[in-house]
Amino acid sequence: MTDDGLLVSARDLRRDYPMAGEIVHAVRGVSLDVRSGEYVAIVGPSGCGKSTLLNMLGAIDAPSSGTLTIAGNRVNGLKDREATLFRLRHIGFVFQRFYLMPVLTAMENVELPMAEAGLEKAARRSRARELLTYVGLGERFRHRPTELSGGEQQRVAIARALANKPELLLADEPTGELDARTGAEVIGLFERLNRDGTTLIVVTHDEELASAARRVVHMRDGLIVDEQHR
Amino acid sequence: MILTLARASLVRHRARTLLAILGVAVSAAMLLDMVMLATGMRVSFGSLLLSQGFQIRLAPKGTLPFDTDATIPDASNVVRTLMARPDVVAVSPVLGAQLHVEHGATSVSAAALGTIAAVQGDYKLLIGHAPTRDDEIVANDALLMALGANVGDTLRVAAGFDPQLRTFTGQRTLRAVGRVHFIYLSAGERALAMPLESLQAMEGASRTDRASLFMVRLRAGANVESARSAIEQTVHTVSAISTETAIQQVEQRLSYFRQLAFILGSVSLAVGFLLVTTLVTVSVNERLGEFAVLRAIGVRRTRILEQIMLESAVIMIVGAVAGLGLGLVTARYLNSILAAFPGLPEAISFFLFQPRDAWLSLGLLALCGILAGIYPAWRGASLPIGPTLREEAVA
Amino acid sequence: MTAALSLPLRAAIAFLAAAQSIDSLPPRHSPRSVAIDERLAADYSIRLGDTIVIAATPAAVGDTVVVSALVRRSRDPSEVARGAYRIRVHLDQLQRLVGYGDRVERFAVGTDGRTATDSALAAIDAAAFGFRAYSSREIAVESSTTFLVVSRFHRAIGVITIVASAIFLLCIMLLKVDERRRDVAALRLMGISRRTIVRSVVLESALIAVLGSIAGVAIGAIVSAFVNWHYQRVYRTPLTFSLVTAQIVAIAVGLSLGLGIFAGLLAAQRLVRQPPLSLFRR
Repeated sequence: MTDDGLLVSARDLRRDYPMAGEIVHAVRGVSLDVRSGEYVAIVGPSGCGKSTLLNMLGAIDAPSSGTLTIAGNRVNGLKDREATLFRLRHIGFVFQRFYLMPVLTAMENVELPMAEAGLEKAARRSRARELLTYVGLGERFRHRPTELSGGEQQRVAIARALANKPELLLADEPTGELDARTGAEVIGLFERLNRDGTTLIVVTHDEELASAARRVVHMRDGLIVDEQHR
Repeated sequence: MILTLARASLVRHRARTLLAILGVAVSAAMLLDMVMLATGMRVSFGSLLLSQGFQIRLAPKGTLPFDTDATIPDASNVVRTLMARPDVVAVSPVLGAQLHVEHGATSVSAAALGTIAAVQGDYKLLIGHAPTRDDEIVANDALLMALGANVGDTLRVAAGFDPQLRTFTGQRTLRAVGRVHFIYLSAGERALAMPLESLQAMEGASRTDRASLFMVRLRAGANVESARSAIEQTVHTVSAISTETAIQQVEQRLSYFRQLAFILGSVSLAVGFLLVTTLVTVSVNERLGEFAVLRAIGVRRTRILEQIMLESAVIMIVGAVAGLGLGLVTARYLNSILAAFPGLPEAISFFLFQPRDAWLSLGLLALCGILAGIYPAWRGASLPIGPTLREEAVA
Repeated sequence: MTAALSLPLRAAIAFLAAAQSIDSLPPRHSPRSVAIDERLAADYSIRLGDTIVIAATPAAVGDTVVVSALVRRSRDPSEVARGAYRIRVHLDQLQRLVGYGDRVERFAVGTDGRTATDSALAAIDAAAFGFRAYSSREIAVESSTTFLVVSRFHRAIGVITIVASAIFLLCIMLLKVDERRRDVAALRLMGISRRTIVRSVVLESALIAVLGSIAGVAIGAIVSAFVNWHYQRVYRTPLTFSLVTAQIVAIAVGLSLGLGIFAGLLAAQRLVRQPPLSLFRR
């Protein structure tokens, strides 16, 4: 984080990629600042570039041009190995389709990033239990993803994203695969996370989720067109 | 954690994992058999030749021992010449012949060896004693059983048989004083041994003071090749063959099997390679999304590669161990087929297991597995995260 | 050394009876001719017309002879690994050189058909002393033990290879079909029947099996040609070591097609038995 409390500072981010012989300009010059503790929702029609922007913010995708600083680290231009390590330490990612490891239990899925970060078994077990209890799955440690409902799987995914105490939590359509009731539970969880100090950036079509955020960024055709603060 | 992931992935697709292990086991078994075939004959033949401590063999010039009916003249002089050498401690002359043996109403033909009991290296005594008098012989189980005779029985032995006149020539009555096992003969071959001079006398003028073979034992530390060369230069009627040369010549005769072993071994490796490549490719292709997610949450590419290679290694190791057992069983079966080669000494094995062979097979298979799996694994672990997640979502 | 006679049987016996003692033949002054093994000629640079000396032992004087012919090895498996050279010498000359006297090791007698062979065997055994007559077929059976052993060995290797290949084929086909499970699931959800899906997968497997079999036959033919080239070069023999016949091709193709289709059928049936959604989830 910088001195002025900025956690994320993106300047003129662009992302182009070839598709079917043409160049697609998915993001066409986006500048965005996010402070520590903010809860930002990025909304827009399908194909507006919001998921691409989120991927760049999460160091999953490298921008074609522009600069990106997260938690005081220059992220654009990182090599794959450096970007991977950065994600491990600073970013938590929640996906629309959960993407849990089907062969691992809920506990083991949450332990995964901690194991990669080199945390000892006892410590990561304890933290995993703590996180699963936090997200309301205290009784479901040993269940595999196929034995959990969609909402429960997403909560495991959130717990996994929080495993290494990331400064920034990114979520791409986290309620996209959930029914209204389960989606509301997840929205409630996000609110709680934010109240407890987690910085959140979510990409969503879900109006309920967007309305829970304190800042809504509207995108269209690869550009930010509007912003609202609540 | 990677261990947990790898184990869980293997268990998740049990049928596929078992089938892959079976495939690797078969490949490993064939590879082990071929490695055994490539080295077995040399090792077992070498052991056989050196089992009685004779390092050099003298055969009639230009021939291999007992390869022809030719004999070496002036045998007693040859022995004297050899024993005069300071590096020679023992010389065993051997004369080979075919004799007819009768006991009661039973008549069979048998291989006969004329030897000197004190220095002979052709048989091991099981019961009784070695023949020292000219009316004594020792025989193997095959001959005794064929005749229905025992140690102590009297046998009629003849050097020649005229099929038209149905009469024997050079006949003698001899007593079986011992039961022996002939080291260099094939299984089931009927044979007897008697004092050298007795056999020479029975065979008549054509075999007086002649021998088919001399076996030479050198003193400890003597240079075998120097001795061999010197003997060949001194005794002009013989070809002197060291154990190593004998092995080489037999190997040359049976080189076909070594080459076959190489070809089939290579084919086994190639097919094993193909199997592992396919297995890893399929396994990786259906988990591209998983790998992309792992990378998204901060797991290094090399860690993912480790996981994939670990899964592959488990299949290879379990398969190889199973293949070891299977390979030993098939080797035994194949060896039993080749053991029927006419004239092959019973002690020779084409497929001889040495722990070194198992390690070699395992090593080759492991290397093959690593090479086969590494490219698809690397490819799977290196795909761009965003597009992969998108494609997997669409899929 | 054989003295091959292709005379009628009575004439052959008459010839033997009338043969003169070898010692009574007048001495020859001009070199006689011999035929040598082409390997011997190649290894020692001996050409047609060259004179060489042949003797029974290195110390003996021997005879000077002229090389009048080169002989190629026959396609005899028993000769394959033997490195010894062969030369063909006039019978009486060889008898004299090795001090064999008026003796031979065997006669080969040509007869006119099976009936003539049987009557010749009986007549020779009854009339001649000191040896037995055998038909060539009897000798062939006796001397072919080695090849029977090698043949059995080859067959065993062949069986093991077929079993191993079958397992590999099953393994790979099952893996490839299993890879298509999401496609199968999507089709099932669309309402396509199990039967149609199984047929489609089996058809695909059959096509792969056909293409694979064609490629396999081509590879097998190339490898067979290479094996022959290699072993003929190593052993310097015209013997054919590997032969790809129509029957062998038919067996190999039949097996691979059968196994490939069977594997496809097995895998397809495994997939369609499972609920479609579970195929997506795995």
